[in-house]
Amino acid sequence: MIAPKHILGTFDEALATLRSNVLMMAGLTERSLERAMKGLAARDDDLCANAIADDEEIDLLEKQIDKDGVDILLRFQPVASDLRRVVSAMKLSSNLERMADQATTIARRARKLNRHPALAEAELIRPMYDHAMAMFKDSVDAFAREDVDLGRAVVVRDQELDDLNRMASDKLVERMARDPDQLRGYLNLIFVGRCLERVGDHATNIAEDAVYAANAEDIRHQSLAAAT
Amino acid sequence: MENLVMETPERTVMERMEKGTAPPPEAETPAACTFEVKNLSIWYGEKRAIDNVTLDVASNAVTAIIGPSGCGKSTFLRALNRMHELTPRTRMEGTVLLHGEDLYSNTIDPAIVRRRVGMIFQKSNPFPTMTIGENVVIGLRLNGVRNQRFLNERLEKSLRMAALWDEVKDDLHKPGTSLSGGQQQRLCIARALAVEPEVVLMDEPCSALDPIATAKIEELIYELKSKYTIVTVTHNMQQAGRISDYTAFMYLGRLIEFGPTTKLFTNPTEKQTEDYITGRFG
Repeated sequence: MIAPKHILGTFDEALATLRSNVLMMAGLTERSLERAMKGLAARDDDLCANAIADDEEIDLLEKQIDKDGVDILLRFQPVASDLRRVVSAMKLSSNLERMADQATTIARRARKLNRHPALAEAELIRPMYDHAMAMFKDSVDAFAREDVDLGRAVVVRDQELDDLNRMASDKLVERMARDPDQLRGYLNLIFVGRCLERVGDHATNIAEDAVYAANAEDIRHQSLAAAT
Repeated sequence: MENLVMETPERTVMERMEKGTAPPPEAETPAACTFEVKNLSIWYGEKRAIDNVTLDVASNAVTAIIGPSGCGKSTFLRALNRMHELTPRTRMEGTVLLHGEDLYSNTIDPAIVRRRVGMIFQKSNPFPTMTIGENVVIGLRLNGVRNQRFLNERLEKSLRMAALWDEVKDDLHKPGTSLSGGQQQRLCIARALAVEPEVVLMDEPCSALDPIATAKIEELIYELKSKYTIVTVTHNMQQAGRISDYTAFMYLGRLIEFGPTTKLFTNPTEKQTEDYITGRFG
């Protein structure tokens, strides 16, 4: 939803800059994750190095978004949907920064894997990557378009990612028992799977924040709310 | 405190909610209701200043009325103690109940209404020929109280409640106008409190004050609500957010939205409210 023009043009500009930086950060984080996973699949150390280098720019954007958000709160005291947008943008940047950290970890694990012969079991990670990235893209879309239905849909998909991670880990542990020479490699793949599972958790957080920004509804920890 | 005509029946916001005239309180426990305003319309000559407003004012809470200039918020406030009647060619419809009593009944004395429902104005208005002490107890004197000991006790109590005692206790004989703007406004609050009203109405009480004096008044409002029902008109939405429990948004004489302040300032129901509080119209 596009809000009508604010009486203070500077306020509209500040909100637009904040939003633009969040979307840029999301784009860089997506690129970093893609580079890390391509570095793993294609055994390309340069791509892994690029993914690690991306993290620095993403960290700077996180600081910039926090600074801009605090400035807006201080200078304009936003309320209602404006307040929710600012708070959500700041929370989004925190989640994106952690996602980028996962990309860095994946890239480092990939570089270790690339030093040894390729493992066919790397393909076990592929469905998790596809699922986590789809969740990530949809959660950012839900924020950008203020799409409450899409945000809700992302949240329920996290369970499937957890299940995929559990299945992949079980298979890799089984391989470790049968092929102890490749123990380090399997262990690195388990860690990559865990990173992707965390990416799904952050995508869930972003989707929840998107629903809050659009609808002022806190959909976090629904199982706890139902229990009480 | 004497009643105007009869014993006041217990009314609650929860009771009114069932009839759809009250906002849902944030707390589970029902808040008692001081004012019940029903279908209130007020005209100044041909001009309709208030258009069919219905709302309940919760007891021992701060209710803020916000809205652009000319929306009728000050008229609404004045209707709560019949001060709007001082303007010529005023006409009203609807009812205003104070603890269930009709303030506009023929048997009601407007002077007693204004004693029970005090008013603080935008600009502090201490009586210029009176000392600080005289300013505070003038209401009691005009009501026939002559007992000096009682007056002295009420003077100190009122000044303490207005958070002014420590600053003026040695200067009670000095003119009220010798005080700073913020102190004068607190003096006026002490004057209003001296007659022990049930409700304190405030019409932009901080708009002429600097930030420090404003903060002191806001702190005072917060403390006073444990004893009084407070209704305040403000142009400062951040102030409404800081000090009020309930907020009413008025526009063109109509009540657009009324509800708990947190709800209204985080997720207003009406688009007009959202556009106004976010600064997109008004």
